[in-house]
Amino acid sequence: MTSPPLGSLNSASMGSPFWNRLTETMPRAQLDNLHLHRVQALAHYAYENTPFYRKKFDNAGLKPSDIRSLDDLKRKVPITDKSEIIELQQQRPPYGDTLALPMDFVAHHCETSGTTGLPLAIPYSTYDSVRYGESWVYGFWGLGIRPSDTLYFAFGWGNFAGFWSAYWGARRLGCRVISGGGLDTKGHIEAILRMKPTVLISTPTFALRIAAVAAEMGVDLSKSSIKFTYHAGEPGPTALPGMREQIEKAWGAKAGELLGIAEVDAMAPGCPLGDGVHVNEMNLYSWSMDPTSQDEVPDGEIGENIVTGYGNTAQPLLNYRTHDLVRRRSSCACGRTWSKLEGAVLGRTDFMVTVRGTNVYQTAVENILNKVEGISMHYELVLTHEEGNDAMTVRFEPEASIDPDNWQQLASDAGDRIHKALHVRLKVVPVAPKSLPRFELKTKRIIDQRPKELRRALDR
Amino acid sequence: MHLTGEDTMDLQHQIMRIQQARELIAEALQGVDIPQIEAMLRNADMELHWALWNLGEPVALRPELDYAAHADMS
Repeated sequence: MTSPPLGSLNSASMGSPFWNRLTETMPRAQLDNLHLHRVQALAHYAYENTPFYRKKFDNAGLKPSDIRSLDDLKRKVPITDKSEIIELQQQRPPYGDTLALPMDFVAHHCETSGTTGLPLAIPYSTYDSVRYGESWVYGFWGLGIRPSDTLYFAFGWGNFAGFWSAYWGARRLGCRVISGGGLDTKGHIEAILRMKPTVLISTPTFALRIAAVAAEMGVDLSKSSIKFTYHAGEPGPTALPGMREQIEKAWGAKAGELLGIAEVDAMAPGCPLGDGVHVNEMNLYSWSMDPTSQDEVPDGEIGENIVTGYGNTAQPLLNYRTHDLVRRRSSCACGRTWSKLEGAVLGRTDFMVTVRGTNVYQTAVENILNKVEGISMHYELVLTHEEGNDAMTVRFEPEASIDPDNWQQLASDAGDRIHKALHVRLKVVPVAPKSLPRFELKTKRIIDQRPKELRRALDR
Repeated sequence: MHLTGEDTMDLQHQIMRIQQARELIAEALQGVDIPQIEAMLRNADMELHWALWNLGEPVALRPELDYAAHADMS
């Protein structure tokens, strides 16, 4: 018997461009066979172990054994929405009737940030955390991060699933981890300069915030030890190419992104090509749905991402609405066969406002603002209701270098670009630099000032 | 990326070995009364179950319920 090498993986593994070439490049028919087996197992499991799904299936006149194809999943299994789970959790905290395992199995508790309303409580078993962490590793590996790298976590831990799961992933990969929890922005910069990590883990807006503060301190982070930045929690470098440019320039590093849903999985690691994310098809099955008709939307068209997760067995979710609008492709030049979501999330069904008959999505406006030279990453979209119609006002901070005499011209330029691209006129207002609030985790972009009764239930 | 015939043979052999390892662990778990060792063996089996899952094997959703069922019977 030969001894395994000390420390890292063997040379054949280290040379692989894939974390798991077998499954990441598995032919579609083989993947779908596996999905059917796993969806059937999950349906039986959820039905037998959660009062929530037993009731949901019974109300639909459905038995788990009725799911004989993936089409049966799409057409017969009722859609689940976060609002249902939150309502049950409010009635019987902490997990309502959705917990599928005895409480003894719950090894970790997280909560969503509550950016769209009440926070959702999420239980994970030990095994769930292993599975969840593995999703991050596909993205880390694809970008070029290896066990020899050192990850710097620039956030306070709290109950936020996103970066706990990144930590679980770092443990799976075998990287060195440095926690910046509890430090202020200046403290993060000093720790990075002192400890020389090679990877920054943060929300994308906080990566820019750190870089801006560093510049004020006279520190050029593009010359630091950081080789990669990796992000989650809000639209990042894949969804917003302008943000990628800013992050990569400020840090002199390659930026990666992962699309996650706290209660499901770190479900779609970034494609190494940088133009989308690949659904981790070992951890979930997903398809695109027309949010209105609930019919399936074919590949290449925009639809809502509907997911069935195998990873969170403490709180299983079938046909779960993500409210993310995506465009799905079945092939990719990177060689992966896992469904590709081009540009990650293109918009949100619940962060859409109809202004004078036009559907305006948060991300669409953000993408335009990112392309206007002189507009900083600090802006907010204020929703109001005027004369019977929803309205959106863009409030932005100009770059500090822009002369205040030119702010109005900048606003006018942004307004014209929005009009040209989205066919709607929005009010665009400049505000003084550093006047909008800063966030360490998710930046709050939407300020909803519409009357409560005019908002969706979770936005109230 | 397609697997060659040789790759498939290697893969089948690997899967078989992992399945055998799980059987050995199940035997080692019988009658174990040291909590530390029982926890280690369960973790080892969980990792092997996860390996089979990620080799595309149609294994059960999770092994932990099996442990709970066994504990109830013992």
